[in-house]
Amino acid sequence: MIVCVLQPRFQLTVAAGDRTELLRVPAALAPEPGSAQRVGEVSLAAEAFGIHPGTQLGEALARCPRLVLVPPDPAGVADLWERLLVRLESIGAAVEPERPGLACFDAQGLLRLQGGIDGVLAAARRALRVPARFGVAPSRFAAVAASTHARVRRPVIVSGGRAQARAFLAPLPVALLRARAVLAEARLHETLERLGVQTLGELAALPPTALVDRFGAVGLLAYELASGGDGALCPRQPTEVLRESLQLPDAASGMQLERGLGLLIDRLLARRERQGRTLRAVVLSATLVERGTWRERVVFREALADPVRMRLALAPRLAMVPAPAEVLRLAVEQFGPVASDQLALKDESTAARTARLREAIRQARAAAGPDAALRVLEIDPDSRVPERRAVLAPFEG
Amino acid sequence: MAGPRRLAVPTRATVIAADGRPLVVDGRTVDSVRESWLIEDRWWTDRPLRRRYWEVVTTCGRNAVVFHDLERGAWWTQR
Repeated sequence: MIVCVLQPRFQLTVAAGDRTELLRVPAALAPEPGSAQRVGEVSLAAEAFGIHPGTQLGEALARCPRLVLVPPDPAGVADLWERLLVRLESIGAAVEPERPGLACFDAQGLLRLQGGIDGVLAAARRALRVPARFGVAPSRFAAVAASTHARVRRPVIVSGGRAQARAFLAPLPVALLRARAVLAEARLHETLERLGVQTLGELAALPPTALVDRFGAVGLLAYELASGGDGALCPRQPTEVLRESLQLPDAASGMQLERGLGLLIDRLLARRERQGRTLRAVVLSATLVERGTWRERVVFREALADPVRMRLALAPRLAMVPAPAEVLRLAVEQFGPVASDQLALKDESTAARTARLREAIRQARAAAGPDAALRVLEIDPDSRVPERRAVLAPFEG
Repeated sequence: MAGPRRLAVPTRATVIAADGRPLVVDGRTVDSVRESWLIEDRWWTDRPLRRRYWEVVTTCGRNAVVFHDLERGAWWTQR
């Protein structure tokens, strides 16, 4: 049983802050500086003009000239989302965050603890302390679809197995496939609609071979989702949060920001909770004077505890801050091992090479996820069927 | 990643054939057939595997391995 927790328009709501009137007029998140010129989340009134997340900025303004563009608040979104995920994890849920505002967890292990699915939902609602929609279904995609049809006090629960999930999904529009990032990127739902496939039921009725033929792996994934299937959840590893922030007396940029950064690094390294550990990845963020925030994740080439090297790695990022800042923050996202750069007595070049290789793999995984380093594992090299000979498995240095 | 990812997974090929022999593979005319072989496996299960493989050279000099799925009737290419 997968539970989906949905907070619609999460990023827009956070960016709007106390200006709640923005959610009642056509409004959209402005593109982040340096990114593609596409709008982010949009208000319900903007959706009525045919504007959706990912619409080109020019097209959105042409459709609705009085569209209000809200500066994005990536740091505020990340902070609040992290707090909500921690609250969900506090009830024992292993949470997989899909994107800010949408998270899933498997309720199987919590059913007896909380006294059934209603107990799990009540516990999650109490822990979150903010209104959210809940969808429950046998697969993740069906749970996400169920949550979009739920109300805050009325969760949608699809009981049973794959067949029930498929029946629930059948009348729903193919536009729901946008919930999966890889399908949204391929804009598969638009192509399907142009071909006359309007609902997930019609999609599931197509022969899978024809879908593979036309769309490749993306088509097969869409078929699997529409048929009530989905991959296993991949919950995140709960992390400890360590952050420092600095209120800048005047709007700061350039050299002032660099001095502030140096102070933040020193404070962060002095925290007792660090327990001598090095820092593998940090998040540098700033609250801008002209509303909105800026956020940059930095993965160090090697885990560091040296303030000079950290400053060298982080200072160039400050040039990317799009406007003067009033608050600068530095948070640890991932810790490395305890600092212990001891020199070897003997020249062990093979061991050093292996250690460097392991370090490179750890860096690559920290930056690009667990699939960043794989190896070819022969499972049946003499098989007459080529696809049975080898698989890609995680590289274990 | 949900599980180990297989290598050399077959992908669909567009093949024009006559008498089971490929003449055009993915829009490229076949110049010569280097080898052909039959694979039969799992015939004792509900999902038997029967494939007629063809290693061909197209007129543009490309070497390709395609097979005809004799159970389901589709053409696939495989490296």
